[in-house]
This record gives sequence, structure tokens and C-alpha cells, in this order.
Amino acid sequence: MSSHNEHREPSAQELYEGDQSKLYSGLMQHHGDVNSSESKSQVKKIWKVFWILLAITLVEVMMGMFLSHSIPKGVVNFFFLALTVLKAGDIVAIFMHLGDEIKSFILTILIPLVLFVWFIIAFLADGGFWLHMNTSNPVRQATEQVKH
Amino acid sequence: MSHAAVADTKQPSAWAGGRSPYNVSYGKMMIWAFLLSDALTFGALLISYGTRRFFSAVWPDANQVFKSFPFAGETALPLLFVSLMTFILIMSSVTMVLAVHAGHYNDRKSVTKWLLWTIIGGIAFLGCQAWEWTHLHGECNGLWGTFTDVTTPVSAFSGFYDTHKEAVHAVLANHPLVAMESTHQFFNFFFTITGFHGAHVTSGVIFNILILINTVNGTYQRRGHYEMVEKVGLYWHFVDLVWVFVFTCFYLL
Repeated sequence: MSSHNEHREPSAQELYEGDQSKLYSGLMQHHGDVNSSESKSQVKKIWKVFWILLAITLVEVMMGMFLSHSIPKGVVNFFFLALTVLKAGDIVAIFMHLGDEIKSFILTILIPLVLFVWFIIAFLADGGFWLHMNTSNPVRQATEQVKH
Repeated sequence: MSHAAVADTKQPSAWAGGRSPYNVSYGKMMIWAFLLSDALTFGALLISYGTRRFFSAVWPDANQVFKSFPFAGETALPLLFVSLMTFILIMSSVTMVLAVHAGHYNDRKSVTKWLLWTIIGGIAFLGCQAWEWTHLHGECNGLWGTFTDVTTPVSAFSGFYDTHKEAVHAVLANHPLVAMESTHQFFNFFFTITGFHGAHVTSGVIFNILILINTVNGTYQRRGHYEMVEKVGLYWHFVDLVWVFVFTCFYLL
């Protein structure tokens, strides 16, 4: 098949897209039977992740409706953020197939994201500190009056 | 086994050239790069939202703001409508990944079917968002830049707050302008961020329609692969991913 390809003129489509066929990830290489057991187990995995995402969302909504006013806000927020990260991880790893890529590619995507999460935390901490330092801030004055 | 045979089986480094060290095509790698940069944009919007919120003595309560459901009148159903929207988007993500899966097996019929469901899901989500925006437009008497008039009575925005909390009640009673400023900021950020996300959903639906046309026309069948479905799928999942964070930041925290 490949020797056949070498001898023919490139089609307009190839000129447009480049010959990417050599570069497909492991995922794209198999063109087997869609009814094979491998295919079916992948579909099963997709639906399993769907149920997990649905269950997490329902737990979040229940917490938001019934628990957000009875248990400390900090604890609820910790659970919300933890469940959100869990959902995001499932979507990226399974739905976006990042979990099926090779390790160097996974790291190339994840390292900048982790640095960005660190940046967000640093930014919010800095914002909180700025509020703490700025005694002329009317919002802060209102907060202090409420607290005392 | 001869010495030469052993040397032949030794794999050169993945970075020695001749093959993709990431084992991924150019187009797919670039869509990941784009998604990373888009994540930074959404991150910046959510950071500014978070910073503003950290600065505020009071902040509208999601259970009060988002308690309406179409045709339910005044009945308070906190978070129910947004749960439905989240469900629709997760569901459309599942149908998208099933389309990508069918594409891996060159199954044109299934790709067509699942892409259609994904498009329907995307349009349903946009419809829900249109309803929510219309509803909040009515509540706020506008979209952006509302609650700026200092003569606005407290009653115009006190309904967005959890006044059972003593501290919140005190701010509304003694510093109504502080609460009004928070309301103003809340809705500006809400419409900007959900609007930006909605624009992503809209373009995602358009991309899905384009690849559906190509699938039906047999373009990918002739090309021998459905990588375009995979690339648009990555974008679609990203839009779902962003919603997970928007959902947490606006409706839960």
C-alpha cells in the first residue's frame, strides 16, 4: 500500500493537509471492526464516565441546595473544587483521550496547566493580601464593620 | 541471535527525527496548543471574577439568583435549571466522543448519527442559555452595566442575596451601595463569562455542522480517516470542560 502511494501524484487533499498518515497516534491506527470486543469495551468505558460525571454533578447540586447553608462554607467549597477537578480530569483523560497519548505529550499539556493553576492560586492570595493591606478600601471598611 | 540483529532491534531516541516524538499529528497537536491558550483566556476571566469577589463584602447568592425554571412561575427551584443545562452539555460530550469513536472505525453511519445528536445537544444548551439570559434581563432590567444608579432602591437587588445571614442583612441595610456595586459586578461577570462560553458553544455547533456535511458527503471516507471529527471533538470537550468550571464558579461556590 505504501509503495503504491510513493509512485502516484499527491492529491489536492494531500497538498492541503500534508501527508499526516504516518503521524497518527496509536488511537487512529486501528480501523478494525466497530462491533469488535475492543470497540465495545471502549464504548462501555465512555458510558461509565458519563454516569460518573452525572453522579458527581448531582452530588454537587444536592450539596449546593441543602448543605451550603448548614455546614461551613470552607468545607463545602473544598468539596466543590475537589469534585470539579475530578470531573475535569475524567473529561480530559477519557473524552479527550489524553490518557491514551504517550507520556511526553501528556506532560507537555499538563505541565503548563499545573503552572497556570498555581498562578491562579497565587493571584487570588495576592488579591486577598492587597485587600488586607489597603485600609482605605471602602469594601474592606464595610467588611470590618460587619465583622465587629 | 547474531550481534548485528541485536543492534538492529535497538530503538533510536524518539527525538532523533524521522517520526513524531509525540506520536500525534500536526493538526491534533495544534488544536491542543489552541485549547491551552483558550484555557488561559477563560482562566483570566475567572481570575478577575474571583478577585472581584474576594474584594467584596457581600456577593449575590446563587440559590437566590438562579432559582427559576421555565413555566414554573414564582416557584423557587434553586440550581435545577442549570443542572439541566449541565446535563445537556455532558450528554452532548458523550455523543461527541461516540462520534469520534465511530470515526476511528471508519463507521460513517454512526459518525453521522452521533454528530447529529451532538448538534441537537449544543442547540438545546444554547436555547437554555437564551432563556436564562432573557429571564435575568427581566430581573435586572438589562444585561451589562445594570445597577449603577445610586437612587436604586435596595429592594431592586436584595432578592439576589441570602438575607437570612446576619452579616449580609447588615450590609444591605447599612451599606446598600456596597451591595449594589457587588450586584453590578456579579451580573457584568456573569454575562461576560457565560456569553464568552456561549460563543464557544455556538462556534462548536457550527464546526459540528461543517464536519457533519463533510461526513455525509463522504469527504473523510475518501481521505481514509476521520481525524477532523477528532479535532472538532477536542474543541467540543474543551467547551464542556470550561462549563464545568463556570458551573462551579458561578452556581456552586
